[in-house]
Parts: sequence; structure tokens; C-alpha cells
Amino acid sequence: METRCVICKGRGLCGRPFCPILAKFCAIKRASIGDSIFGASPPSVFVGRVGYPDVRLGPLVPPEIAAKDARIYDDPAQWLGKGIEDVIGLRSNLVRSNTRLNVRSPRVLSDRLLIKTQMLAMASAPVDTEVKFLKPPKMELRFDGILSPMGPSGTLKDMSITENPSVPRKVDYLVSDKDVLAANATTELYESDISVYHINRLLSVGLLGRKKDRRLVPTRWAITATDDIVGKELIARVKDHSVLDEIRLFSTQRFGNRFEILLLPRPFSFELIEIWMPRSVWVGEGTWVGADREGYGGKRTYSLLAGGYYAARLGVVEYLENIKRQASIFIVREILPDYWAPLGVWVIREAVRDAMRQEPKRFETADAALNDVATRIRTPLRRWKKEAKLIHDFKFQKTLASF
Amino acid sequence: MFKAVINADILKDSIEAISTLVDEAKLKLSKDGISINAVDPANVAMISFGLHPDAFESYECTDGEIGLNLETLVDILSMTERSDKIEIELDPEEHNLLLKMGGLAYTLSLIDLAAMRKEPKVPSLELPAKVTLKGSDLRLAIKAAEKVSDHLALGVDGSTFFMEAESDTNRVRFQLTKDELISLDASGPARSLFSLDYLSDMSKAISKANEVTVHLGKDYPVKINFSVAGGKGKVEYLLAPRIESD
Repeated sequence: METRCVICKGRGLCGRPFCPILAKFCAIKRASIGDSIFGASPPSVFVGRVGYPDVRLGPLVPPEIAAKDARIYDDPAQWLGKGIEDVIGLRSNLVRSNTRLNVRSPRVLSDRLLIKTQMLAMASAPVDTEVKFLKPPKMELRFDGILSPMGPSGTLKDMSITENPSVPRKVDYLVSDKDVLAANATTELYESDISVYHINRLLSVGLLGRKKDRRLVPTRWAITATDDIVGKELIARVKDHSVLDEIRLFSTQRFGNRFEILLLPRPFSFELIEIWMPRSVWVGEGTWVGADREGYGGKRTYSLLAGGYYAARLGVVEYLENIKRQASIFIVREILPDYWAPLGVWVIREAVRDAMRQEPKRFETADAALNDVATRIRTPLRRWKKEAKLIHDFKFQKTLASF
Repeated sequence: MFKAVINADILKDSIEAISTLVDEAKLKLSKDGISINAVDPANVAMISFGLHPDAFESYECTDGEIGLNLETLVDILSMTERSDKIEIELDPEEHNLLLKMGGLAYTLSLIDLAAMRKEPKVPSLELPAKVTLKGSDLRLAIKAAEKVSDHLALGVDGSTFFMEAESDTNRVRFQLTKDELISLDASGPARSLFSLDYLSDMSKAISKANEVTVHLGKDYPVKINFSVAGGKGKVEYLLAPRIESD
């Protein structure tokens, strides 16, 4: 946090609509926790990355919340219509409990708490859970660029699942299959309408893959792995479809994130430009522009835009696979000062999916579309146009058919 | 029917020249040799390739066409020494290509021709300038351009062949006069802009050729010809230009 916060004490000198520090305390007040809690886990589990390969993992449980009300605590698709402070409020009531385990422990499965956490991860609906702590959880709220915010946490002494979790047949089947590769299991689950959030839980607690390869995967890594595996599979299919025959533009704005998504009638390629406006999370006074892309042949190295790249790509290729077309995808994401607390990479995935559900605008030329985009992006076009390599290719690169 | 023996280095160089543009290709087999016409998925670059039966140690073939996954083939060929001999045989019953090298025997399944893209129509081009230079010189020009930009211009001005590339802040120019070239023959000036995405990929195969002939026009595709396999194989690349209009 900036040193200025000390002087300001929440008066709003930084220009953000809310003081992040104050909001943190507002959310915390609601949680009061003793050394045991009972509630329905949404279901939700967490695997940390600190100390790898000895990591912390355990269930997340909202105290006193009944099964019928619990799902929303870990269901990003439902958070879209909410404000940042609502999401933080929800998440701050989610108490994390953890135990420390080696990432290789899923191979032997001797740990009772791991087995119970895994049972929870397999469930598709909230599960009544009782958690006992060694000592009452510390009051804290953690933010992260990839992960959703998380509330207080405490060391797990014991946990019990007080009902039989409902597990989709396909999940049960692939968890029991100890010869299938994790990537193939992931695609198969996605095919069977298991959400990426559910797949992510299974992957992180070491329930997918060949027996000897199974391990705990820190949640933040598992999120991006899931987006990348499913995205790659969809891209391979999309490349078999014919090329879209017009220029389409989709837009949305969620949680201070503006998305402009342009589909161009060319074979598959993908480009994401990120513009962080001054005073949005992570940046100070200047504007930061970054871009990353992949051509028809795909991507070989991890994106400099991190998990957001894969989350955004997934949302659009889902759409292309739906309409059975391929296209060149060009996305501008502008992050406004309204995005004052990082909520996690689900914001990008769900906002892009939301944009793709809207009726698109149609354009005759890439320039006309780009000019329309520029009316909603606050940062002047000249600051980011140069990064739009894909648009330049589309405009200037001739094909052999034109000779 | 197809049964042949070939040196690993010839097969490697040939396949790599093609696989930089396409992952899979249709091979036309005949008693006159093997030929391939393939275009990249964006229809920006094309390769025409031909390998004469003399490039093989032995060659027996009747007319036919097969679909091959080049990525897999390149991968398999990486297991060979350049001096190895490779026996290739088609098993039409099982839709397989059998490759024997050293002690290894590979079975490579063919791609169903019906599932493959149609062969491209080769555009007929009248290109006014023709320059012949060393492959290593063209490679140098391409590498120099990569340092400053995503694309480069190739052209002929009077009796000079030139390459230019520029970014907002930097530029590079490379030129060779007629007597530094192997030959230059132009009926007028030529200049076209090309994407380095493609040229960089092509340049590896180009750099191995002693002589490369470049045909150029004004805002027109470039045609690049050179031989492989000691003159027994021919490669022709065709690349569409970028035309920056505003």
C-alpha cells in the first residue's frame, strides 16, 4: 500500500471510489470465529503454494451458512452482477482451514484430512462440514491477482463431513481412472459439462491423472492449467471449422474491467492488450500497456500477461466452438480505477463469457470496428494502437488469393 | 506402390523446408519423383516442392497420392544421423508408411486425403525483377531485419538489390550491387513489404542453398527458388506482401 494511506486514513486522496483498507475491515467485522465452525462448504478447497513442495491445503467453510445459501460463496458465475465490495464481503466470511502436506501425498492417500478434503472437492453441491481448529483462526483477508479473495484461516485439527456429498457420475469415473492423463481427464470432464471451477478443485487436490503422477497443485497454478488445457483443446477443434464471414464486436464492463472483443474473418489467432489505468490495482500514477499473442501454431511460452491471458482466451474460444467457426480474436481489456482490489482471474473469464453472450455489433472494416472500440476505451488509441499487431496483419497482410 | 532408399540428410532438409509452413501435406508420388504443393492455413505463403528420383539411392513407384503428418515425420527424423540411410515403403492396405533407419522401424499412419485441405491454386505472376544471390546473404538480410522490425521490404532499384526494415526508432538497410550478386535482371523498379513471421521460418532452408533466385514486383508476392539435394530437388516459396495503405 502506498505510504500516503497513512496520512489519508480513508479520506480518498488516492482517487479510488472506496478505501481498500477500510473495506477490508468492514468485511471482517461480520466474521466471528471460535475454535470450531459448522457450515456448508460451497464446496470449496484451497491449496497454497508457499513452501512448495510442502503446501497447505484444506476446505473453505462459511460458518453457520446452510447448504441452500452456500453455493454463492464459491461460484464466480453468480458474482457477475455484484459489486467488488459484495464479492469481498462474501469471501471474507469464508473461513479457510489448512493442514500441511507434501504435494506427493495423493499417491499414497494415508492422510485422513486429505481424503476428506478430496471428498469435498468431488462434490457438485454444498456439503455440511464441521471444522475444528488448533486455535481460533486469525482475522485476515487476502487478495491476489489470480485467486479470489479469502477470509480468515486457521490450522486444521479435525474435520468431518456430516452428509453424503453428491458427486457427478463422470467425476467419480475419472477420479477412479488411474491410467488417464490429467490433461485428458480435464477435457473429458469439461465435455461432460463439469465447470472449470469444479475441474480446478479436482486437479488441485490431486484427484486427476495417472496414479504415480497424482499430486497436489497449488490452486493458482491449477486455475491457469485448467484454462490452458481446455482452451487448447477447443482451439484444436475451432481450427477445423470454416472461417467466420464477418467482423463482430462484443463488449462488456464488469468490476471496473472493460472488455472489447473483436472477431476478424481470418484463421485462428489470438491477441490480448491490457491497459491498466492510473490508480487501478497494482499500478501507481502511470498507464501500463501490455500485450501478448499467439498465431495459428499456438503458444510455446507462458504468457507475460499471466493467468488472465488463458482465462480470456477460454471465454472466446468457447463461443467460437459454439457457433462452429474460427476467427482471429483481438481483445482490449482496460482496467479502470474502479477495480481497486484484485478479485482473481475469474473476473476475466466470466466477463469475457458475459461479453460473448451479448448481441455483437457488425462492421464492414477493421478500422470502423477499431474506431468504435476507441469510443469506449478511455486511454487514447495512440497509446495502444501499435500493440494491435493482429489488426495490422488483418488490414495489411494480403493473401495469395488476391493475386 | 512406393519403395525407396534415401540419405537421411536429403530427406531431413527437404521435409524441413516444407514443414516450416504446413503441419501436414499431400504428397504426389510418380515415377518422375515426389511433389508437394501446400499453402499455410492463412493462405499467405505457399510451397511447391519437387524431388527427382535421382535424389534417392533406389526408387520404385507407381502413381499415387498420400497425406502425411510432417510434424511427426520431422520428429522421427530427429532420431537419425545425417549419414544414415532410410528405407521407405508404403503399405496401402494398412494406410501406413514404413520407415527403417539403423535398427529402428517406424510405422507412420497416413492422413485420410478426404479430410485434408484442397491443394492451392498457384497464382500466375508476372514479376519484373529477378535477382540471384547466395542463400547465406538472403539469410543475413532477414536476420538483420529481425533485430528492428516485424517486417521488411525487398526491392530492386536500378542495378541494386536492397532490403529495408524500420521501427519507430531504428532502421536497417542492406544492399548488394549487381557485381556483388550472382545475377540481376530487372525491367523496372520493384519493392514489396513482407512479414518476418514467414520469412524467418523460410530462411533456415534458404540459408543452406548456394544460389537463391528471388523474383520481385511492386506490392506483389515474392517468389523464392532454390535447389536442395545437390540439385535433384527444387523448392519454390511464394509469399504474399503486406500493403500498408494509410
